[in-house]
Amino acid sequence: MRTTRFPGLDAGLGLLFGLILFFGMSLWFVSLENQNARREAEVRKTTVAAMSLAETVAALETVGAPPEALAPAIEKWREGDALVRDVRLVRQQGAQLVYSSVAADAAKGALPRRLVREEKPLFDLTGQLRGNVESNRAEGYRLPEAPVEGVRDDLLRVTVPIFVGDAYWGIAQVERERSTPAAGGDYGRAGLMLAVAVGVFFALAFVLRAVPLGLPDRWVHLAAVGVLLAVVAVLFGRYELQQLASYEKARASEVAATYQGFSASSQAAAAQVGATVPSTVPLDVDQFRRPLGQIGPDGQLNVPKLDESVSDNVGAIRDQLWWTGLLAAGLAALFALGQMRRLAETVREHRSAYSYVLPAIVGMLLLVFFPFTYGVMLSFTDRTLLNQGVPLTELWVGLDNYVKILGHFDVIRWTADGWSVNYESFYWTLFITICWTVSNVAIGVTLGLMLALALNTENLRGRAIYRVLLILPWAIPNYITALIWKGMFHQQFGVINQAIVMFGGEPVQWFDDVFTSFITGLATNAWLSFPFMMVVSLGALQSIPTDMYEAAKLDGATRWQQFWSITLPLLKPALIPAIILSVVWTFNMFNVIYLVSGGEPAGANEILITKAYKLAFERYQYAYAAAYSFVIFLILLAYGVFQNKVSKATEQVR
Amino acid sequence: MSEFKHSTLRRLLLRVTAFAAPALLVAGFAGEAAAQKQLTVWHAYRGGEKAAFEKAVNAFNEANKAAGISAKTLAVPYDAYADKISAAVPRGTGPDVFIFAQDRLGGWIEAGNIVEPVDFYIDDQVKGRFLPNMMEAVTYRNTAYGLPFNFKSIAMIYNKKAVASPPKTTKELVEWAKKNTDSGSGKYGLGYVYGDFFYHAAVMNAFGGGVFKQEGAAALPTATVNQPANIKSVDLVMKWYKDDKILPAEPSTALITSLFNEGKTNIVFSGPWFLGEVDKSIEVGVTNLPTVDEAGGAPMKPWMTIEGLYISAQSKNKEAAYDLIKYLTSDEAAKVMAVEGRQLPSNKSAFAIPEIANDPVMSGFRKQADTAVPMPNYAVMTLMWSPVTTAMNKIVKGTSAPQAAFDEAQKSLTTDIDALRKTR
Repeated sequence: MRTTRFPGLDAGLGLLFGLILFFGMSLWFVSLENQNARREAEVRKTTVAAMSLAETVAALETVGAPPEALAPAIEKWREGDALVRDVRLVRQQGAQLVYSSVAADAAKGALPRRLVREEKPLFDLTGQLRGNVESNRAEGYRLPEAPVEGVRDDLLRVTVPIFVGDAYWGIAQVERERSTPAAGGDYGRAGLMLAVAVGVFFALAFVLRAVPLGLPDRWVHLAAVGVLLAVVAVLFGRYELQQLASYEKARASEVAATYQGFSASSQAAAAQVGATVPSTVPLDVDQFRRPLGQIGPDGQLNVPKLDESVSDNVGAIRDQLWWTGLLAAGLAALFALGQMRRLAETVREHRSAYSYVLPAIVGMLLLVFFPFTYGVMLSFTDRTLLNQGVPLTELWVGLDNYVKILGHFDVIRWTADGWSVNYESFYWTLFITICWTVSNVAIGVTLGLMLALALNTENLRGRAIYRVLLILPWAIPNYITALIWKGMFHQQFGVINQAIVMFGGEPVQWFDDVFTSFITGLATNAWLSFPFMMVVSLGALQSIPTDMYEAAKLDGATRWQQFWSITLPLLKPALIPAIILSVVWTFNMFNVIYLVSGGEPAGANEILITKAYKLAFERYQYAYAAAYSFVIFLILLAYGVFQNKVSKATEQVR
Repeated sequence: MSEFKHSTLRRLLLRVTAFAAPALLVAGFAGEAAAQKQLTVWHAYRGGEKAAFEKAVNAFNEANKAAGISAKTLAVPYDAYADKISAAVPRGTGPDVFIFAQDRLGGWIEAGNIVEPVDFYIDDQVKGRFLPNMMEAVTYRNTAYGLPFNFKSIAMIYNKKAVASPPKTTKELVEWAKKNTDSGSGKYGLGYVYGDFFYHAAVMNAFGGGVFKQEGAAALPTATVNQPANIKSVDLVMKWYKDDKILPAEPSTALITSLFNEGKTNIVFSGPWFLGEVDKSIEVGVTNLPTVDEAGGAPMKPWMTIEGLYISAQSKNKEAAYDLIKYLTSDEAAKVMAVEGRQLPSNKSAFAIPEIANDPVMSGFRKQADTAVPMPNYAVMTLMWSPVTTAMNKIVKGTSAPQAAFDEAQKSLTTDIDALRKTR
């Protein structure tokens, strides 16, 4: 430990790192948003181009223009914008490549011609867009109607469907050059502000040393850091946000200019054959071909709408900057209060311990926390099989899934045929899961303990053989055991029904009734779970000193009294952790339920985990299933907390 | 301390590179050598079907040796098949070509990146080689996603000794069955698993019923479980069971098999899978399911399950893969699959081969295919089975009236579909 340090070094470092964090992150956010705005503007321009081409072709087709009029019309249309590179028109009927400005396409045969095999993706796209449009019409927007591809860093490709009247004609594909955003941000300004702020702080600290205020130095430093950080952050943030807003507005005017260019050129192109392009069709659309509304049909900017959208975007960044500022302030405070120094010291001191733990932490982060976080995020959305293309943020539904799961109180209802249980309800499944867990653990413990007591008999012959035989069910993979038991419960060929018939009984349809179906799972799991309990109890039994029993015998205790007063209390420390473990295993025993009864009849015997699986992979409600799984996690978490308390209690008993 | 760590780390790195470098080299050369187009085909066949399929694929390999295309088959256990496809193909580790019935097609297409559309490759000549309705099974939202390989449906299977001329209409069927029913000795004139919705679909379709109605190219159809035609069809079956008493109670496939083998029931509705369980001493006839007088004389239209040959969306050799599936549905391959594999090929020319045309069983099922309809391939088909099976169980056990049971199934199915629909 150094004894002489410059006063306020900790706080100064805090200010430095806090500002580096703030500048780094805010520059990153702003540059991302800038790139986004640039990219979006380029996409919109290319979309406008493709849409206006589609409208031009539709206009030509409507008046029945001859095929040879197409090429000059497209040349005319091109005059609207100098950056359009390549254009393709594919007609679905007959898989015709009607027009292409790509030299390689013309080399494969004179146009128009049938698409060749390598051009299958074009044909598939033609079919796909038609399907997407029809599907979106029928069930809302979920499939892209104007897909965007980045062909190269400097080239964008947008494909839109062409409709002539109401009939699908084909696709128009436009490739347009895009300008790449200028890299870099205001690093100079940020660096300057950083240097000034840190300089001012150390000057202050120096002055403070000479002129003490009478307050503890540490708090004065902290206050100085806070004020400096706030001032710099507000100044810098405001400036960047203003820049961002004007940048976004400039991009929108670029799009409007392109719009006007194409409106004019497509009219001119159509006029060549005496057709007109309807000016009411919005060209500035998103990937679902929904108008964005920032540009009117005349190509003029709709200023209020634009301001609204810009202030939305900028507002989102502003919020992010606030959070970053708070984070930076927190970091600075940690430094200023000396926490970071202490942390650094412990890390240095226990270097090797931390380095041993690190791989496990990284592994846990990747394999456990990341999927878990994703699952939790999923549970707050509306993700299903059919909207996988839509970003999660657009599917946010808040707590809806949880409300639906936990609010499903309709468990028992009265129908014309009598009382009927609604097996779909979460509470029914929870009830079955609890019955399942409790009965399994009870049977497992009883059976295991009995067998352990039997095996613990002194001078038992062949004890080793019995022990191996009794552990076998545990050693065989449980899905194999589950499938064997499923076979044994088969209504016609199963050995259990054949045995029943042999003794003159009626064969049982095991999976047709809630109770018998439950029994099949129970029997299988009892078979699987007793060896574990047996092994645990056997180990504990052997550690009980025999002189206790001898003393009890001398006092005249019966066998039963010995069991209750000696054996059980001494087994408790070993049994309770085993029971706790086995509760968790059984609660989530997917294999047995899924493979043996499959939740039959009608999902009545589903446990929570198999139900979640079926929701996700049979009903395709991914988000709902994620919420279901999270509820299972919460139940087990609550149980885990309870378990901790219980095991602490047992430790105290010991 | 740190000295030690560094040296171990370096040694470890050296060791890893020492092993990895030759391995990489070998891998590189192997990649070079395999410039030929190698296709992998997954199937779930066993026994005779497997042998026939491998023979057909080998014939393809022989014919395409010059082009450097070869295919190798891999038998995947049926239980794991569909899940393996869903998991492996989108990650690019699956086969180039795979075979499965159409019921999973919709789900796979909606999930994306699994099945390649093949409309572009298909020409009229290929389309023309199939029996009617077959292409429909592999077509989803107006796009073809594969070629149909073979089909299975239920038909009327009867004991030739006991049934001189199989009934052609439900009226004849009921008359004949009533005469041959004796509940005392456990004889029933007609036997089929009428509680199973898959079997019931034949009667339902005769009435023009159905479980789904589709509008436009929507991926999600509307549930129509409780429509009047469906109720009428169940009413008819329940009349056979309750009033005419020609059907056994609580039917199961096992019960039907044993009744047929014991000669207690001589007419059953079942599919090719049933024949494997029939006693070898019984001479079996296969013919069309009867027409339904109660539905204005419309024929029963059982659901067909059609196995399709699909190309993986991740395949590197899609054109070669199409050549393979085109070959596997060709006349030569269909002949091998029919004669040696005992499959019912979707290629109609196979049924002109004398061995097949003279086979009463195969030609019987072939005739049924004219009136059968492919089972729908919507993604939501997996949602349907549970509610309709519950409804059928309740109706057959008499715990619920058909209308009430189907209303409930309709409600539950609609809820599940709406959960998928309401998004955005």
